[in-house]
Amino acid sequence: MIVVVGSRHDPVAAALVREWPDSALCRAEDITAPGWLCRNDHGPLRWVVEGQAVQDDEVTGIFVRRCAFYPEEFLSTHREDRVFLAAEAQAFLGFVLSRTRATVANPPRDGALGGEGLGFEHWMPAAVREGLPIRPFRLAGGRRRLARPERPPLAVEVVGDEAFGDAPAGLKDAATRLARALGLVWAAFLFDGRRRLMALTVAAEPGPQARRALGNLLARRREA
Amino acid sequence: MILVWGPADDPPVEHVLEALHDRGAPAVHIDDDALPALDFEVGFSPRPAGRLRSAGTTIELEKLTGLYLRPGEDRPDSRRPESVKAAAMLMAVAASAPATVVNRPFAGRSNGSKPLHLQQIANAGLKVPETLVTTDPAAALDFLREHGRLVYKSISAVRSIVATLDSDDQDRLAGVATGPVQLQRWIAGTDVRVHVVKERWWATAIESEADDYRYAARDGLAIAMRPIEIPPELGHRLVRLTAAMGLLVSGIDLRRTKGDEWFCFEVNPSPGFTYYEEATGQPIAEAIADLLCGTDPGG
Repeated sequence: MIVVVGSRHDPVAAALVREWPDSALCRAEDITAPGWLCRNDHGPLRWVVEGQAVQDDEVTGIFVRRCAFYPEEFLSTHREDRVFLAAEAQAFLGFVLSRTRATVANPPRDGALGGEGLGFEHWMPAAVREGLPIRPFRLAGGRRRLARPERPPLAVEVVGDEAFGDAPAGLKDAATRLARALGLVWAAFLFDGRRRLMALTVAAEPGPQARRALGNLLARRREA
Repeated sequence: MILVWGPADDPPVEHVLEALHDRGAPAVHIDDDALPALDFEVGFSPRPAGRLRSAGTTIELEKLTGLYLRPGEDRPDSRRPESVKAAAMLMAVAASAPATVVNRPFAGRSNGSKPLHLQQIANAGLKVPETLVTTDPAAALDFLREHGRLVYKSISAVRSIVATLDSDDQDRLAGVATGPVQLQRWIAGTDVRVHVVKERWWATAIESEADDYRYAARDGLAIAMRPIEIPPELGHRLVRLTAAMGLLVSGIDLRRTKGDEWFCFEVNPSPGFTYYEEATGQPIAEAIADLLCGTDPGG
């Protein structure tokens, strides 16, 4: 089974579940349903997905479509407890994703979901180590206007060892190397017109080719 | 140049600033309340370059050698767009400046998920209590029977009061079905807080009848703190744990059992060390100032 971790209000998550055979959505409502089990030492890990208890060894792959839980998602909980529960759900999911034996396409870093832990300070040094030119970025206070990119950017998506997009093969190879170095199964890259890396995210919507490749990859059981 | 960012009324910020001033170190303080007026122009590649201007002082980022950050939370101005933007810029500088940073913003971040954090501590070779997070009342009951006495506390970094459960509380376990609850084997013993500053450490024993000594006064219970020595091997292990989490300074919560076992509960990446410093006289702010000035013994 592929588990898409997301909101029932997220159309991308819903589309992925429709597109990928034997997949299901793990929603905020599931986090507050009876059945979860996760220990720090040993023992089975058990999920709740679309209201059903699922053993971790039934899960082959996971795609994370959220970087946070929001208090408004917990309508069955007392209003005054929702902020706390949202924080607890997020921390819990970070723990579960660290314990699962399934392949996580976009794994959390130190518990931070959906690319929240993948800031420029992580990917820029890794890109430099992999020999990728990077586009410096500027932050300015007040009302200063920053220059816009002079040429349209080039997008690349990496799924495992495959790369998709309209960029030249060299950039695709470089993006694949960088994704591997960062421990990412899936990532989207943006290069500027001078072929310098300007953005890397695991929180975007996968494109059609990447979705197909991801569906195949996440359905495969990870080798022990 | 050393930059200290945090509310002026935050005791650790105050103590570090005072220690830096005592050393004659070139330190600039940016108060959270000054963020909306902070002027800056910074480029990242990924090293930061550029300048900040705060209250008439210009900080050239290329000359930044140290940074101590303890930004406050829920300040009146903290949600203003100018504050958010300035705070994001300072976080980015702290994450990427080639300087001594106490601590890098993403270091020790697993602390936001306590059971995940505990797993990292265990991976570093320290003993941690058995922990279950569940929404299954039957599994919670089995865990209670397995250990006899449990504590329950928040999974996230949201502060909660640690409380205990024993066999008399079985009926309360039905409540776990409404949301994930973290249950942990109760470890009897003495609380010990160890502050690590790079390669040095200071330990404080805390004696209290309260389940959670931080709230002893609220329950009318006494608390006694005294400096203690810990085995050097444990101290070195805590130094390695701190470094492994990417931290230069940490506040580590331990418990020592009567059988002389040491259990580790948490590594705090932004410790409010002054509570312990004031009770014991341990020179923690001085050590942090030495570290920021590059004059610490381990430097």
